Amino acid sequence: MTSLDILFMVSGATLLTALLFGRLRLAEPLMVMLYAAQLWALIRTNTLFGDPVASSWQITVLVDQSMSWRYNSVSWFFAMLAIGAGLVSALYAAGAWMEKYLESGNSGHAVHLALAASVFSMVLLLGAADFLTLFLGLELVGWSGFLFMAIAGGVAAKAALKYLAYAFSGAMAILGAMALIYANVGSLEYGRVIDALPSMTSGQGWALLLLMGSGFAVKMGLLPFHLWQAQAYAETPAPGSVFLGAVFARMGFYDFIAVFISMVGIAQLAQLEVPNTGISSRELLAWLAAFTIILPTYTALKQQDARYLLTWLGVGQGGYMLLGLMVGDAGGTAGGLLHVFSFAITQAALLMAVFAVMYRTGTSDLNMMGGLARRMPWSFAVVLLGFFSLAGLPPMAGFVSKWLIYRSLASEGMPLLLVASVIGTVGTILAGYRLIYSMFLGRLRIEQEGVREAPPSMLAPMLAVAGVLLMVGFLPSPILNWVAAIQAQLGLPVVDYYPGGFSDPRGDLNMIWIVSVLLAGLGLAALAVFGIRVRSKRVHAPGSLTGGHFPDAETRHGYVDSFYAGLMQLIGPWYCDPFAWLERALVSGVRFVSSSVNRLYRYVQPTVFLLATAVAVVAWAINAGGF
Amino acid sequence: MNAVILPVVLPMLAAFLMQPLAHISAFTARLLGPLVLAISIAMLVQPWFLPDTGPFTVTFAGFVPPLGIVFYVDRLALIFAVAVPLFTLLSWGWSTDTHGDEEKKAREDALMLLLAASATGLSLSGDLFNVFVFYELMAVSSFGLVVQKGTGPARIATLRYLLISAFGSVLALLGIAILYAQTGTLNLAQLGQLAPAALHGPAGLTAFAFMLIGFGVKAELFPLNTWVPEVYATAPARIAGLLAGLISKLAALVVLRLLVVVYQDTSASQLLLLLGTLTLLVGDFSAWRSRDFPRMIGFSSIAQLGLVFIGFSIPGPWGVLAGLTVALHHLLLKTGMFMLATRWSGSLDRLVGCAKSTPVAAGLYLLFALSLVGIPPLPGFWAKLVTLAGLAEQGSAMHLVALGAVLLGSVIKAHYLFRFALKLYSRSDHPALRHGLMDLGTAALIGIALIAATIYVVPIGERLRAVAQQAADRDTYIATVFPDHANTAAPEGPR
Repeated sequence: MTSLDILFMVSGATLLTALLFGRLRLAEPLMVMLYAAQLWALIRTNTLFGDPVASSWQITVLVDQSMSWRYNSVSWFFAMLAIGAGLVSALYAAGAWMEKYLESGNSGHAVHLALAASVFSMVLLLGAADFLTLFLGLELVGWSGFLFMAIAGGVAAKAALKYLAYAFSGAMAILGAMALIYANVGSLEYGRVIDALPSMTSGQGWALLLLMGSGFAVKMGLLPFHLWQAQAYAETPAPGSVFLGAVFARMGFYDFIAVFISMVGIAQLAQLEVPNTGISSRELLAWLAAFTIILPTYTALKQQDARYLLTWLGVGQGGYMLLGLMVGDAGGTAGGLLHVFSFAITQAALLMAVFAVMYRTGTSDLNMMGGLARRMPWSFAVVLLGFFSLAGLPPMAGFVSKWLIYRSLASEGMPLLLVASVIGTVGTILAGYRLIYSMFLGRLRIEQEGVREAPPSMLAPMLAVAGVLLMVGFLPSPILNWVAAIQAQLGLPVVDYYPGGFSDPRGDLNMIWIVSVLLAGLGLAALAVFGIRVRSKRVHAPGSLTGGHFPDAETRHGYVDSFYAGLMQLIGPWYCDPFAWLERALVSGVRFVSSSVNRLYRYVQPTVFLLATAVAVVAWAINAGGF
Repeated sequence: MNAVILPVVLPMLAAFLMQPLAHISAFTARLLGPLVLAISIAMLVQPWFLPDTGPFTVTFAGFVPPLGIVFYVDRLALIFAVAVPLFTLLSWGWSTDTHGDEEKKAREDALMLLLAASATGLSLSGDLFNVFVFYELMAVSSFGLVVQKGTGPARIATLRYLLISAFGSVLALLGIAILYAQTGTLNLAQLGQLAPAALHGPAGLTAFAFMLIGFGVKAELFPLNTWVPEVYATAPARIAGLLAGLISKLAALVVLRLLVVVYQDTSASQLLLLLGTLTLLVGDFSAWRSRDFPRMIGFSSIAQLGLVFIGFSIPGPWGVLAGLTVALHHLLLKTGMFMLATRWSGSLDRLVGCAKSTPVAAGLYLLFALSLVGIPPLPGFWAKLVTLAGLAEQGSAMHLVALGAVLLGSVIKAHYLFRFALKLYSRSDHPALRHGLMDLGTAALIGIALIAATIYVVPIGERLRAVAQQAADRDTYIATVFPDHANTAAPEGPR
């Protein structure tokens, strides 16, 4: 039995425990322990820096196809995130949150089960060593995610159904690609597919690329297949939202890496020109990533619900990862991969804090909150740190990863993409500020006078994750160490890092310096403020409540309705929801076709079709028989 | 080996004895049906345990083919022949619909036995004459069964079914007549010998097309299946399950035999592919729109039959394997689904929140739906994968379109099946709808079989491959029926 088998067994045992004992309150600590055990089992495999480990389980199907599992450093990295997110979510759910959840008549069993199933299926997916296993993993991840999204019922169930339509379409595209591969190569094993790739015609290659690519694009929420995410994540119960928001779409990103980076390679993508356009498929992907950054981020700006705001921002952040990877140099790919990690912890921290506020106030509507900083100072601190990281500001983890991406975009000669990513960052800052302002700053609402800080059982994981955020920002080398191992595994140029940051011929980034300077600056500012005893000045209400914009008589002012009224006057017309429109058109199309064919079955003269068919087939037979 | 005749003869005999027996002893009459079916199963299972000596034939009264009528028994025929009494027994109406009316009960039992006898005969028949006779007998008994409830809608639906069936049968008979006129025989093996010379022209293909229409009525082929939704919605659910699960597959089996033995290497398979693709799309799209459970699964069964035909249209053993796996999977699942439909009739909205009162039924529904959609590692996935791989292997434009249609249909199917699942699991205060123990037990049994098939997918796959290999071999078929002519060239038939 290999160390990978042990990981699978521990993960399976977690699922079994959730299934059998999920109804008991005892399950909460038990699950936390089991996730910790999974983490231990993962570390024991030592596949990050050591050699890949294969599972001793191998199933032979379809005569010559085998299904097998194998972990390498990429699998390790993503599995660390998945299990880590599972552990944090389980910790967060244990205790106070679950108590309240059960009190409102919900089933804790479903939450435990969905989380354990998601983690288990991700652990399986990440070890896939052939297309069949990959598809199995993808489907299991997809359906356990569906379970998670659906358990809240109501709006959540609708969102889950929408997710299902998207995800299953993606899965079918991948299945179609697999059928083509099987027909052309005669095997679904990675090695044989790689060998056969050069001999494929360009038509076959493109068919595969498009089918697989769009399948993975759905799974990682890439434009134009991104619409399923925000609502589905936001409406799940808190642990689900934290878990899914942090890592769910990363599984699609992993698939993309496993197939498009390790099998095809960035260099090949750069050479493969999209027919009749003059742009390479790498550029196409990079631009898709850039638009994935911009559009969802600015959609987040318009959200009135804290959860939706965060999940929409999360959709946009997925774009940075792909963009970094597509740059292809050491810094860019390191930035993209590091951002997978930074984003996961950032989003987990932010969502936990927002759900903590929701736990206390009973609402996540940004217009129904305000001034909570004094009531929930620790949650405020977590949101503040998370916001800094999400927006890519120092001294947080998100800064390091985004800095790497910006630098590579600039140095590799992709200024337009750099501009696009900066536009995205501006949007992130604006949306993040809206979140902080509406929740924690401004005036406290009367009904929220009595609000207290989140209970310790929820606060502890929040603070722990926020601590990691800060630590990675201050000392990114341990995680860069992981990233470097992955780069080596994938055959990418490896980032040159040292304890405080990374070195580059065009200029280093030393976070220890940056943080020190930043702290010194903050200290000086604090000295100035408190030393000189600047008195606080009273300002006119609209001035503080409209985010700096001075409203005229036409504008309904106040932060309730139009937070960025001025900005919206500028960019408002750009919000035309083309993808939502496309989606609706597609649904209408399906409705039209199904009503039409359904009506055939209610036709009064049942034998008309039969006779018409008889005539048609006789015509066919005469034609086919060569009369 | 001649014992395989008994599962045809015994139920038929029992069917005729049923009414008189019910007058003498209602209790014995009640026992008779299940007993006969159990014996039939035992007899048909027996050949599986003998060493596989290849296919064999059974002739009647010493008349050798092509003069006498013949049963052709290979593994494929045996699978379906076993399935007939087995699934008839699973769908047996123990007492639920007759409410203690002994006469009515005896009548239903007699019809069920007649259906079983004719369906077994159909799966074993080696000549078209017998195929037609058994097919008609099967149709007649199914009319009686579906109209059982006696309500207005049931009568109208049955009348519709009867009309379409009758027209279909006329066309099938016409097709058979053309074959006879062209070749002077109705024995399938002899037709197979004569086909390349006599039947691969327009006349032969017209005959095939007419037979396809005729058998397509029962096989739920579009556009001959307009009877399906109404009949399934108004007939007792277990009867609907029997029709959708079993009877439709037997009609498909006949088409497969024709295709393999008589119409190999012709464009007949293209017609099948086209109609199969249309059937699949129409079925899934219609199901997406339907608003009650029996109609929804009825339409979904149409779509699955489309997939079966798409599978069969792929040439060679791979196609037989594809169609066969889909057919067997669907046979199992639809019977289970219709068992759930016994209580889940009527509008879907009436079933909101049902999972709370019937968690087992809802769980089974989920399991069936997952397999039907084709989620690995459930058997439905493998069936679909085999079909898709076969289509991709063929690689022609039409096959690729069919491949796309299968994928599109799957997405639509996943959407409507899980839209309903979410309804089942949402909160509501609708009154509880509890299933009868028998229905739920049968569905649970099928669920267990499904899980077992998931675990033993590899050995089952091996077995089915061997079955498909055997069934796709035309020469074996001909050589088995005419051992003497095995190595001689096909004789020139009368024209």
